[in-house]
Amino acid sequence: MTEVYSFDPLIIKTPYEITYKHSYGKTTKFFTSLSDGKLMATRCDHCKQTFLPPRSDCPYCLRETKWVQISGKGRIHTFTTLYFSGEKFLKDLPFQLVYVELEGVDTLFLTRLKTKDMKKVKVGMKIKMKISRDPEWRSSDIWAEPDE
Amino acid sequence: MPRKVAVVAGGLSYFSKARRDKTQEELAAEAARMALFDNDINLSKDDIDGTIVSYFSDHFENQLLFGSIIQDYLGFNPKPSVRIEGGGATGGLAVRDAYAHVASGLLDVAMVIGFEKMSEVNTAKGNEFIALASDTDWDFPIGGFYSGYYALMAKRHMEEFGTTEEQMAMVAVKNRNNAQHNKFAQTNPKMNPYAMKDGGKITVDDVLKSPYVAFPLKRLDICLMSDGAAVMILASEEKAKKITDTPIWITGTGAGTDAMRAGDRPRTLSGVPMLPHEKKEWYKELEYPGVHSFRAGRESARQAYKMAGITNPLKQLDLIELHDAYTSSEIQTYEDLGLTKYGQGGKLIEEGVTALDGDLPVNPSGGLIGAMHAVGATGVMQGVEMFWQLQGVAGKFHGSDKTQIKNAERGLIHSHAGTGTYVTATIMER
Repeated sequence: MTEVYSFDPLIIKTPYEITYKHSYGKTTKFFTSLSDGKLMATRCDHCKQTFLPPRSDCPYCLRETKWVQISGKGRIHTFTTLYFSGEKFLKDLPFQLVYVELEGVDTLFLTRLKTKDMKKVKVGMKIKMKISRDPEWRSSDIWAEPDE
Repeated sequence: MPRKVAVVAGGLSYFSKARRDKTQEELAAEAARMALFDNDINLSKDDIDGTIVSYFSDHFENQLLFGSIIQDYLGFNPKPSVRIEGGGATGGLAVRDAYAHVASGLLDVAMVIGFEKMSEVNTAKGNEFIALASDTDWDFPIGGFYSGYYALMAKRHMEEFGTTEEQMAMVAVKNRNNAQHNKFAQTNPKMNPYAMKDGGKITVDDVLKSPYVAFPLKRLDICLMSDGAAVMILASEEKAKKITDTPIWITGTGAGTDAMRAGDRPRTLSGVPMLPHEKKEWYKELEYPGVHSFRAGRESARQAYKMAGITNPLKQLDLIELHDAYTSSEIQTYEDLGLTKYGQGGKLIEEGVTALDGDLPVNPSGGLIGAMHAVGATGVMQGVEMFWQLQGVAGKFHGSDKTQIKNAERGLIHSHAGTGTYVTATIMER
């Protein structure tokens, strides 16, 4: 039965659900490598650029890139603490997001920072990427933690 | 050679958190009626040769091909129409597209119809829909959403240049308080019957004490989410001179782009696209654009200035309507538009340069923080505001003379998507 929210003006509630079959294409290797404990990025030898998130094709020259393993160590480039979010993540609040400068990677990587003390977080702080043992096959399978 | 193109009419709906009294097409009709009947023009609806329809998301109404519904509802069938979409810059891109349609001779008289009705879903779901306009493989699944992305950029701007939360708060105060003289504004309960009840003037202290949404951004640093519509009518030189005695010319337009994921943007030395009044040595130490600056905004301004013959924007522009999605992004954009050196945006607001009575007022309408952000309508609203300002009739439409910039001859409208993914800049002149 249609749920009525108001009669003047007439407002009805209409739910809508959908399940996508989303392919990661050639970046599949990033997610499968996580099971072996490896953090992989892609590199264009021609442009000498290493990308994370991985790009299968170099945006500078459009040559195909190759996979390279990275250490997952780095530093915080900038951070935020969220007290509000999209509907899906309201249950996680508050949490922190960081752009990290990773060793051997030219792009900045956006990820969650998981730390016991959110107040101590600073730009330039050392971090290390961690890999989930219980994969969801999403970018949330990796995150940063302080590297003390 | 492109033909000269003028803006000849504009109209707005009242903006509101929820205009449940009207459907989306009824809101568009409200703005279109004002454009046709409340401007001093010799033009009938039948003189419109085609439309450019501007709305951001099919998700808010769960209705695709809404452009067709608008075209039918406003009675323009079987004339040509096209829907333009480019995130937050949808409106600016639509104005630019209408310019191109008229400049090329495809249309003599074009109507740009911008609208969005965001209240059909709750605010958190609305934020999620907007977040779907970020990378959904990488940035969204970790809990990313726009206030978070802008907070990360704002924090880096603070780190890089010493910008402060107080300076950001000053932007909120300026825009919110300007909106108190604009009857269309969502934060103006004295003049807008559909306004939020807790609107009205604010102080720097109010902003600093408002709760954090995403550090360093607080509730009052962040733009509105609105229902509403905006309509512009553009015409070729020949037609414009018959329609009105005071056509407002579009003399320059530019568009720029950047990576969807801000982290993918380069951080190279000497990477700044230079404006005529700038010196290379200013930026030899600056990694650019990084996540602190909008290269797309700079590129759009560079093109628009070149086309309009502007060599010193701070001196040659009389006002700007700027896409202030966040107080921090208004400060960042001052720099992209070359109003001051990169890194000095915070000082510009502090010195009052962009205040209503400053040398270069920015967002006399109240902008996205004070007036509205009904995404597809936003860039079109800026065009309507600039049109009224340059005609000298802003006071008549706003219901208050306080916002009219005296003797304004030339202005810029700035429309911005994503984390600076698509940006347009358009110059309008009396």
